[in-house]
Amino acid sequence: MKRMVLPIASVLFVGGLLTSWVSHGTGIVVDDPERNISIPDTHTVPLQVQAAYNNTTMFMRYRWPAERPGIFHDVLVYEDGEWVRHGRGMPGSNPEGFHEDRVAMMLDDGSVPEFSRYGGYITIGAGLAGLTDEAPEEVTKYLPATRNSLGQWDDMAPEDVQARLRAAGYFLDLWHWRGGRSNALGYADDQNVGDHRAGDGGRGTYSTNWDGDLSQPRVMFNPEVAGYRALNWDDIMAGNISQDQVYALTPQASVPFDPDANWQNGDVIPRRMLRLPEGSRGDITTADGVGTWADGYWDVTLSRALDTGAPEDDKILEDLGMYDVAIAIHRNATGGRWHYVSLPQTLGLGREADIEAVRFTGRQPQWGDNWTDVTLFYPGQVTWPFLNSRAHAGAEYIDEGVPVAFRHTPEQLSNYGIEVEFMSEIKRQWLLTMLAGVVLIAGFGVALNRAVSSTKGA
Amino acid sequence: MAAYHVVLVHFPIALWLASALLIFLRVVNDGPVGQAADRALPVFLVLGFVLGAVAWLIGTQVWDWPALSGTPMGRNHMLTATWSLAYFTLLMITRLMQGDALWHGMARWVMLVLSGVGVVLVGVTGTLGGHLVGNYTQVGEVLRLLGWEIYTTYYVPNITVALLIGLGLVMAVLGVLARRPASN
Repeated sequence: MKRMVLPIASVLFVGGLLTSWVSHGTGIVVDDPERNISIPDTHTVPLQVQAAYNNTTMFMRYRWPAERPGIFHDVLVYEDGEWVRHGRGMPGSNPEGFHEDRVAMMLDDGSVPEFSRYGGYITIGAGLAGLTDEAPEEVTKYLPATRNSLGQWDDMAPEDVQARLRAAGYFLDLWHWRGGRSNALGYADDQNVGDHRAGDGGRGTYSTNWDGDLSQPRVMFNPEVAGYRALNWDDIMAGNISQDQVYALTPQASVPFDPDANWQNGDVIPRRMLRLPEGSRGDITTADGVGTWADGYWDVTLSRALDTGAPEDDKILEDLGMYDVAIAIHRNATGGRWHYVSLPQTLGLGREADIEAVRFTGRQPQWGDNWTDVTLFYPGQVTWPFLNSRAHAGAEYIDEGVPVAFRHTPEQLSNYGIEVEFMSEIKRQWLLTMLAGVVLIAGFGVALNRAVSSTKGA
Repeated sequence: MAAYHVVLVHFPIALWLASALLIFLRVVNDGPVGQAADRALPVFLVLGFVLGAVAWLIGTQVWDWPALSGTPMGRNHMLTATWSLAYFTLLMITRLMQGDALWHGMARWVMLVLSGVGVVLVGVTGTLGGHLVGNYTQVGEVLRLLGWEIYTTYYVPNITVALLIGLGLVMAVLGVLARRPASN
């Protein structure tokens, strides 16, 4: 028996090490909708970008992979005499495939200095909707100086300060293309981020297709234009509805709802009515038609006047100007914070930059193959207050103004962001793992020493 | 403290790597070279332990605990550093307690494997430490290929924790039984 102790202990020890290696990293990172946690299978997504401009207009072209085109945001489905809403926002992907695809680009001219270094992270304040510790009311992206103190989502700076910040350019322009709620009209949603995420002046491209008093849609498809009053649920689920047919309730394709039509179970009407935007909010159009999905990729080109005449809504662009952008996409029926984002990129109009906008003459750019590749990543729940707290080892670097890209890659940030979502659980498990390893080593040490001692004098 | 830690860790790293080399020499050579290596080994192991423990302690002071325990790379660095220290502490105790008896039979090969694992752990610890201060290497890629993404925390599920602790206890019991005098 004594001679067998060391071989047995050795096998147990090696077995423990191998088991540790094989099973590490499992058991904690799981979806938890109750805490607003849903981790995507894919942590990074490649995005291609092109930029061009002429004397009057800026063009941005984006291309990214998407398994299916998210052209519906939410819908109303006729079920046994009632119209039932499908497609509410939720953590992660909507299992029925609703929630529109999007591409969004935040743009700054240097008036928000932290943005060039940390990109969208600076807009993730405490309490944002979708976070595990979201505020009791809906809080959207906001810039740090719009609050009196870091980490207090409701401690708003005084209104006169907000106004002066805005006049000084302390806001981010937000180009927000929506696969369901703006694209069919040939527009993107022109928004901005200041003390919250807001639409620019004017009105947006959509409203809600629901008459609460009558509990029915306000409009339906115009049969004379679309060939039908409603879409069919099975067709949508099978992915048979494409951009080549009428799928959105544009003004041309819709008529007032007829409650007496012979509605059948499975009839589907979009829950959003599209309308032409007005004012500053309608500054961004989809150039050269609409954004299109084909062969597993979205290809979206947006255009906007270099100078929109709305300097407190938009960042005015100039020839040879240098700007900062951060780009994000939503795909796979996701909304809210379940997007893929980029680190800040420089955008140079006729100047060398991460994304170099090429100057051209004429009305439409002739795109070549000069794509800029940008890696987008799932950011997890990393807030600006967290990054500036003692819990972030790099807080001192932020204090010194060291850019995020100097120390972190998108892949790294995605892993870190996910771990932040399970901070306490992983910390506990890490400590237990460390302890278990020490116990394993100590146990083997006892066996080894006792086994060797037993041979002395034998 | 970061600068002091960076300076200090070079000592245990050098001493532990040298210890592993001495163990190797002793395992493969029973002659004068091996004997000389064995005589030098306790000094290297004890100094490695003392300076390793000091470096470990100072390392815990580089960042506040919330930061050290709040970042995957910090957690991983501390975990591998702790295990490295534990490994070479085991080697030190074993060498000091067993003396020459260690180099007979299966035990000598066990020492060789243990020191090899310890060297790998120290190497990984140093690599992670390099990442923490911004000096990146491709070792992370190797570990990634082997199945560990170093930008995620190394932890095991509860069942594995229980298994490891259980194995540790079983091995300790086996050791106790091995030392017990045989009954008539």
